[in-house]
Amino acid sequence: MTEDLGTYAENTWCPGCGNFGILNAMKKAVEKLEERDIGRERMLISAGIGCHAKIYDYLNLSGLYSIHGREIATIEGMKLANPELKVIGFGGDGDAYGEGLSHLIFAAKRNNDITMIVHNNSSYSLTTGQMSPTSEKGYKGPSTPEGSIEQPLNPLMVMLSSGASFVSRGYAGKIEHLTDLIVEAVEHEGFSLVDVLQPCVVFHDDQYQKYNEAVEILEESAENRYEAMKLTEETERLPIGVFYKEEQPVYHKELYHDLNVVEDKMEQNKRIENVKKLLDKRR
Amino acid sequence: MVEIMNDIFTYIIGGKAGEGVKKAGAAAANLFSEMGRKTFKMDDYQSLIRGGHNFSAVSTSTDDVYSHYMEADLIVNLDDRSYNLHKEHLTDDGLIIYNSGDTENEEGIGLPIDEISEDYSKSDLIKGVAGISVLSAVIGLDKDKLESLIEKEYSRGFEENLSFGEDIYDLAKEKIDKRVTLEKGEDDSPIFSGNEALSLGAASAGLDMYIGYPMTPASSILHFFAAHKKDLQIMPIHPENEISVANIAVGATMPGARVMVGSSGGGLALMEETISLAGMSESPVLFVLASRPGPSTGVPTYTEQGDLNFALNQGHGEFPLVVASPGSMEEAFYLAGEMLDILWTYQTPGIFLTEKHLSESSMNIDVDPSKVGWAEPKKFEGAGDYKRYEKTDDGISPLKFPPSEDVIKWNSYENDEKGITTEEPKMVEAMHDKRRDKNEKLMVDMKERDTVNQFGDTGPVIFTYGSTTMSVREAVKAGDIEAQIVQPKYLRPFPFWELEDHMNQEVIVVEQSSTGQFASLLREKCNIVPKTVIRKYDGRPFEPLKLAEKIKGAI
Repeated sequence: MTEDLGTYAENTWCPGCGNFGILNAMKKAVEKLEERDIGRERMLISAGIGCHAKIYDYLNLSGLYSIHGREIATIEGMKLANPELKVIGFGGDGDAYGEGLSHLIFAAKRNNDITMIVHNNSSYSLTTGQMSPTSEKGYKGPSTPEGSIEQPLNPLMVMLSSGASFVSRGYAGKIEHLTDLIVEAVEHEGFSLVDVLQPCVVFHDDQYQKYNEAVEILEESAENRYEAMKLTEETERLPIGVFYKEEQPVYHKELYHDLNVVEDKMEQNKRIENVKKLLDKRR
Repeated sequence: MVEIMNDIFTYIIGGKAGEGVKKAGAAAANLFSEMGRKTFKMDDYQSLIRGGHNFSAVSTSTDDVYSHYMEADLIVNLDDRSYNLHKEHLTDDGLIIYNSGDTENEEGIGLPIDEISEDYSKSDLIKGVAGISVLSAVIGLDKDKLESLIEKEYSRGFEENLSFGEDIYDLAKEKIDKRVTLEKGEDDSPIFSGNEALSLGAASAGLDMYIGYPMTPASSILHFFAAHKKDLQIMPIHPENEISVANIAVGATMPGARVMVGSSGGGLALMEETISLAGMSESPVLFVLASRPGPSTGVPTYTEQGDLNFALNQGHGEFPLVVASPGSMEEAFYLAGEMLDILWTYQTPGIFLTEKHLSESSMNIDVDPSKVGWAEPKKFEGAGDYKRYEKTDDGISPLKFPPSEDVIKWNSYENDEKGITTEEPKMVEAMHDKRRDKNEKLMVDMKERDTVNQFGDTGPVIFTYGSTTMSVREAVKAGDIEAQIVQPKYLRPFPFWELEDHMNQEVIVVEQSSTGQFASLLREKCNIVPKTVIRKYDGRPFEPLKLAEKIKGAI
């Protein structure tokens, strides 16, 4: 089944890249979602710019290949236009936690019904390995030859404090777990973040080893937002799974209830009549 | 009692922000309109919430009026600053009212507006009601009429407003012996601002969403859609910044929503990255650029045409871009609708260029929403093997919207017909050709449309565009000047085919720019020779009488 989710595009990720794990997990997740009556015909994807984003060409799903950091706003627009659609955005750490961080924070704040999957490899790999928002202090790249002097961002903490209603972390090396995480994130009504530890074999050659040793599957989600925040600060072990999840009112429903401006578009004659009424009110 | 009759009657009300000046201007404009008269209202306000100086200038006539005048027949000042600023604007037989709560003046008539207002709970805001009260007294309306006006315009806190209004009215009747007779006209068209008119035009063309981040003078478009979301079922969205605005817009076009966004120069600059994305992905978003004086923050609440080149050159890379600018509120209505239709036909972005003077001034519009085209793209009717960027003779690929069994891929990268990223040289070239083909088809189409307005058949030629068109039309009327006013509505593609008669001709150009961007455009596109360029760049629109003198000087 997953074969027909692929395309003819030549895969240009480096051998061993963590992105393969995410691609495979996504394909499996689509199958599982289809079993749960979320058909691929109403799934839309988007991606930013970077290694991660090539997933757009490798997945035989509809969508819009966006620009750096803006894929978050792109999928918000898709969902607002037609809430019947399930929208999934792929971003890199540079996209979602750098260039587009404001969009991510506000999508979480508003609880837009979108799913963001962030391929977090702590490096700007496609542009030759500069430091990223999640690079560790001391990270050496072409823009920081003496090592990064900045503290890394804790993206899950940012998301939790922005009011995100679904915050999770997966690992590209644990495909089954990541598959289930994606399914749960897509099924969650509201904003969902899946931060994925994605080893970069070129600019972070120790990541697989580090993650294989430290990653630990969470037995259950945190009871509240503050407990979840504590979990994000753990560095010795790296918990993966759903850190926190809650139900919140969803943006498009709060704004417009059940109206779907595309599917239930007001007929032309009705619209014209209503415009005429507005004109006549001032006569 | 002195009685005067005026062809054009101009009323100015001025005061501090927070004294209801803008509302008072609107109430007067509505009254004139209700009398069947044509009306033009211009609000001059500063970038502050309380204090400073605001005024509204409202000109009305039984005949067409395309601009406010600054020579006023009746000036109501709610504070000293206003009095001192506006006393020079009084016509010879005009009447000026000042707030004697502040001072005594030699000229004009004082009314104790401050003193009376102190008895009311909203003692500042209520002062604006003095405007309609004095106006009613001067044009001879009775107290019943005043009551109905206050009920209509000042319904919130009606009892207090009425009591205050009647006190002022009684005093005005007693102290003012001048009366003005305003003839009733036969016009029943309503008054709308440019922003409201363009919103209604886009709504008539099938708009589904309006997305905006507040920035003067575009904010009132967002407010309009937010206020009318139930009647129009157009989703009003106010996200975190302009970058989000533009990208939500592009994202929303993919499942088929007709989307408009708006901002001023600074906001559009933030959107420019996405205008290029719209060009590549072939997303038909309509961007409203409501200009104010720049550069940078500039003079936020005033007017200028300094963004013409900025609008014409939006977006990196090469793609079809449509830029148009309306010359009146009525034209704003039709042009917004027409542009939405054109953009969806050609699947490309467009800039609706306007200025504060048109966005926020108001005048009568006589429009028919059923004359606006309903924006519909060419749709894919087949089954299977859908190609989002299918190569066709005219470069226009049929659209299909999700949900769909077919895979529909839009792309910001150069891509093949299916929408998969490519770097292959033949495909890169072919897709450039496709976008250029669309532009060529667009040019052919534009030649069939009304792209240039001309007012007057004889006399010297005056070129202008955008909101300045209104100033020029009124100036020519006021100065009794025989001239041909030529106004290109569309600026890209530039309608050179309509302007062949003017090639190598010496013309007068009127624009609100310090460098003469429009004059340069005419020279570049059509070899038109701008003999005299009449410019204004102090943030204020042209005053018709002063502009008439300048035009006469140029002829």
